[in-house]
Amino acid sequence: MAYEPPVTDYDKIVENCTCAFCGSNCDDVDILVKDNHVVGVRHACRLGASKIMEDEDQRLTVPMIRDENGELVEVDWDTALDKAAELIAGAVRPVFYGWSETSIEAMKPGLELTELVGAVIDNQATICHGPTVQAVQNVGYPLMTLGEVKNRADMVVYTGSNPMNAHPRHLARYTTFPKGFFRKRGRFDRTLVTWDPKYSDTAKLSDIWVPFEENGDYAFCNAIRAVLKGKELKQDVISGIPKEDIVALTEKMKNTQFGALFFGLGLTHTLSKQRNIDIAIQLVQDLNKYTKWVLLPMRGHFNVNGFNIFMSYEMGFPYGVDFSRGYPRYMIGETTTIDLLNRKECDVFMVIAADPGAHFPGGALAHLADIPVIQIDIHWGPSTELADVVLPGTFIGVETAGTSYRMDSVPIFMKKAIDPPETCREDEWIVNELLKRVTKLKEASK
Amino acid sequence: MKQITLTPIKFSSIALEFDELIPDEIYGWSKEDFEKYEVPVGNSRFPLTDYYDIEVEGEAQSPEEVKMIIDGDAGRVKYIGCKMDAGEIVVNGDADLHAGAEMEGGSLTVNGNAESYCGREMKGGEITIKGNVREYAGTSYIGEWRGMSGGKLTIHGNAGKQLADAMSGGEIHVMGNCDILAGIHMTKGFIQIDGDVTRWPGGQMKNGAIVINGRLERLLEGFELDAIVTDPEVEGRQFTGKYIKYTGDIGVNGKGTLLLNAEKNRHHL
Amino acid sequence: MEYILKNGIVYDPINEINGEKKDVMFKDGKIVNSVSDDAKVIDVTDKLVMPAGIDVHCHLAGPKLCVGRLYRPEDERRGVKPKTDITRPETGFSIPNCPATGYRFSKMGYGTVVEAAVPPLEAKHTHEEIIAIPNIDIPPLTLFGNNWFILQFAKEGRIEDIAAFVSAWLKITKGYGVKIVNPCGSEAWGWGMNVHGIDDPAPYWDVTAREVIRALAQANEMLGLPHSIHIHPNDLGHPGNFPTTVNTIDCMKDIKKNSEYRNQTIHLTHAQFHCYDGTSWRDVTSGVEPVADYINKHDHVTMDMGQVTLDETTTMTADGPMEYDLYELTGLKWANKDIELETASGLVPFIYSGRNPVHSLQWAIGLELALMIEDPWKVCLTTDSPNAGPFIRYPRVMSWLMSYQRRAEMMDNKEVHAWAGRKSALGTLDREYDFYDIATITRAGPSKIYGFEDRGHLGAGAIADIAVYDLEPNNFDPTRNAAEVEKAFSNALYTIKDGQILVKDGEIVKVVSSKHVRTEVEGFEDEEKRILEEIMPFFNRYYTVKFENYVVHDHYAEPSSVYKVNASK
Repeated sequence: MAYEPPVTDYDKIVENCTCAFCGSNCDDVDILVKDNHVVGVRHACRLGASKIMEDEDQRLTVPMIRDENGELVEVDWDTALDKAAELIAGAVRPVFYGWSETSIEAMKPGLELTELVGAVIDNQATICHGPTVQAVQNVGYPLMTLGEVKNRADMVVYTGSNPMNAHPRHLARYTTFPKGFFRKRGRFDRTLVTWDPKYSDTAKLSDIWVPFEENGDYAFCNAIRAVLKGKELKQDVISGIPKEDIVALTEKMKNTQFGALFFGLGLTHTLSKQRNIDIAIQLVQDLNKYTKWVLLPMRGHFNVNGFNIFMSYEMGFPYGVDFSRGYPRYMIGETTTIDLLNRKECDVFMVIAADPGAHFPGGALAHLADIPVIQIDIHWGPSTELADVVLPGTFIGVETAGTSYRMDSVPIFMKKAIDPPETCREDEWIVNELLKRVTKLKEASK
Repeated sequence: MKQITLTPIKFSSIALEFDELIPDEIYGWSKEDFEKYEVPVGNSRFPLTDYYDIEVEGEAQSPEEVKMIIDGDAGRVKYIGCKMDAGEIVVNGDADLHAGAEMEGGSLTVNGNAESYCGREMKGGEITIKGNVREYAGTSYIGEWRGMSGGKLTIHGNAGKQLADAMSGGEIHVMGNCDILAGIHMTKGFIQIDGDVTRWPGGQMKNGAIVINGRLERLLEGFELDAIVTDPEVEGRQFTGKYIKYTGDIGVNGKGTLLLNAEKNRHHL
Repeated sequence: MEYILKNGIVYDPINEINGEKKDVMFKDGKIVNSVSDDAKVIDVTDKLVMPAGIDVHCHLAGPKLCVGRLYRPEDERRGVKPKTDITRPETGFSIPNCPATGYRFSKMGYGTVVEAAVPPLEAKHTHEEIIAIPNIDIPPLTLFGNNWFILQFAKEGRIEDIAAFVSAWLKITKGYGVKIVNPCGSEAWGWGMNVHGIDDPAPYWDVTAREVIRALAQANEMLGLPHSIHIHPNDLGHPGNFPTTVNTIDCMKDIKKNSEYRNQTIHLTHAQFHCYDGTSWRDVTSGVEPVADYINKHDHVTMDMGQVTLDETTTMTADGPMEYDLYELTGLKWANKDIELETASGLVPFIYSGRNPVHSLQWAIGLELALMIEDPWKVCLTTDSPNAGPFIRYPRVMSWLMSYQRRAEMMDNKEVHAWAGRKSALGTLDREYDFYDIATITRAGPSKIYGFEDRGHLGAGAIADIAVYDLEPNNFDPTRNAAEVEKAFSNALYTIKDGQILVKDGEIVKVVSSKHVRTEVEGFEDEEKRILEEIMPFFNRYYTVKFENYVVHDHYAEPSSVYKVNASK
């Protein structure tokens, strides 16, 4: 890594901004501003800093509509909004997807619009931690805020996730390295464990690495639970791990003072999906008979958890909520985005603050290419190529203030550091405009 | 007897929802009533006649006297027979999500495959699927620890993953093969699988019984070998031959019974 | 706009109006003594009129609720209702979605509902939910009983610093009053432990519940807050816990109150869970008598019932260790949520059943409390919703209190297990609440206890929060008609909030924003500043958010109703 001299040419520093990248929501970020541009970022990791710094690359700046030649052409806001409203008002199975990189304030009118037209509203949980939510619904949710881990934990386990790459400050700021109230020596007072088939960068830092085989998660947790119940293991090797190692690990986990288990998509998306989480949760519940254990899913986007929380308090269900019959329905596999696209049910798709073009499976994308797509976002991306109407939003946490929920559900008010580009509009404003225009169309057609 | 025959004339990729068209609701309906009826499709309702030719023969004084036939593919018709309490429904083709879900009585026959959630939270009655079922057949609603509690679900073909999650009563018979985690979180009831099973039947099961007549690849550590038994009787049913009997899942202090055909599962001994 | 609510039978205990036929007039959202001839007349001849209800203790908004909703779709599914032209869709039975929460309270004639437990770090979340709940005013109580700063200051006996901290934190969290849950026990849960009784110190902090409760109470009275400390004592739900309960109240008796309006210095919440005798669930019996006796002899304490309603519900409390005990008992899905430096919390679904001996005894204990405590001004009707039952059951609890016949019938025909009669004195208690008593325990008493001078009564100047029920007290015997009592109190004829008709004939006809009701202390700013400066290095080192982002910003608490308090040291 080349040496980069510190930035000295700036007008002001906006302190304690919240990083709008991963679910760590680090709120100690200082943004250096000159002439209403971000010229430097302090304290953020490279992922966060580059998102904040290089925001203006590939920026969507003006509303666009795809013309009859298939080209996106610039239009004024009224034209673009009217076109989008018309598509939404005429849809039979509209899906409004995304929301995990915008604010709670923008979700509010989004939900109102969903209720108005009887749409499905869904977020990225549907393709990431959805299985976690299902497992939580089946067996429970013993969690904590990250400060509990910082102040108390003497054992930290990561599984199915590689925070050193995906949540770079997670260990440094919350779990492993910081000096906590009861862990005054920081890293030296803690045992770091990684369960992962891969020798990841997090595994490299760990005191113990448990490389269970791929798809071995469920049987591995099942074996630890059996040991906790006093059973002697029959098989010599379980999920690729020698039984002595499983017994020794179980003993260590029992004899900590405060243990925390963090898990990521490596657990949610292997063979037994939500059941891996299901049994991991039950394992943590079992361990509480002996000592203190908690767990937390490693949420990806900075407000993916926020959407699940928002939907739960507003409508009682966390994601994939279908209002087509006038009341909310939540049924994994039926009211969830990928299924609706794979089955070619959805007839108008609105994506806000997400990039399905980059993340959805082929079948779902093929259908998106066939139906009208409305995009509300700040960057040109694969989804823009699929979009028929493009509505340029603003950058929450840098250009627009708003509320987000950290992976541990701590709500944070994200302030703004600079003004947005003049031609863009805040997500909240855009969605509110759509709501107004669709309401008018619906009333006219009554 | 009243026989209602719906013959498909138009396919909708947006699924129709048939939860209102169960014998309990429609036994008194005339042909005209069906022709006036608008069926939920997405956020709208459209005339049933857009999708079906409708024939109604005979009279019914009660739901028991109704036989409804969907004479063709219903692979995009959800909630067929959902919450039905009496009468008979026959689908001459595939059925979409939630076929026979929350069913309390009567019978549903699908002469084809059924999508996921077939027989979800079934309480009574009989469901027969002549083809395969996808995931979550005979399962509970998500979050609900009281799943299928009664009735009989028979699957002539194969069953997908996580059959009978949190089953708390009733009977499931899979004549073909079965994917992972059949009977997960089961607390009561009976599952018989005649074909082969991939992995981990009975994960976190507390009670109830699972009999596997085919070959099981992987068994969980949570199951303790009890004995080799001959001609066992399980939940009032007689089986012939030798079986390996396990109890589990001990991870949840489970007292469930898992029987594996000994001949086909020597590799576990 | 002016209105006359004409010819109702009015029960307004604060103004000593006991079933008089009279008019209630209001103008621009306030009760007035007279109106002009233009006033709109609402004829409620012979119908039951009361101030709108005030719930002193309910869990309805915030992080715990949200975990409950997120992890119990099977409960959400139970209360699903489609949207109407006026209302949004509803979900949930024990943990309804926010819109349903507002509608359902409003339909019962309630106007103010206290959110009983707000962890400061997540107070923004509570306020976000208050924004999403319509039609009721919501004062949130901020949790202090396991806060590390409080534990440390209590240990050191720094009462004025605690007062400064409380004053600052009520502003930071936009809270109304001081809540204490299992003091020292929830901190012990940080290590998977608990404390037992009020003299068992918290690990490391070496401070006892007695010290924490007394310190917070002294600080509360130093500031002269409108509400007293509000306490969920140690040992909730443990057989043999009644001495802890008595000790908790008794350790307060020398503390002088500093309020004109309220009488108490301690409010004991969900007392039902704290009045058990015996040593285990096998030999448990009612421990109500000694607690009721103490309360009858002392005036520094008020309580609410925490009545078990025999429903399937969701338990949720900042008492983390109790929830784990409950999980071990039931095996049902356990959620936990510990909050750094502040508190613990947990949730478990629970099925109360009249066939179950213990649940039936709990049912009896709640009623026994309300019937054995002589002064209804010391009693409030709650179910600790949703813990002992969902709030939509309040009318049913009223019907039980009003009818000895109904209670006897339930015990005789086995709607409850024999333990209810055998292990409590309920069967011998023939006291029956009348409408005046009901108005006292759901309106007037709560108003006094919370220092809500502007509500809970129908005197001139009060906000026009009024409930009218479809019962004619002069032609109706509530002791013989429990089902009708329940029905009428469940579906108000009118619910009027700030002078606006929100419910008519049991249906929501209008939806308005709820107000965030909060307290602001004036005259203590220097002390607040000093204490904030002192603790800031510690805050920055051990919290995981910046102080600037910890504070609840104004836009989370609009519209607000602020009770200003002059700190009178």
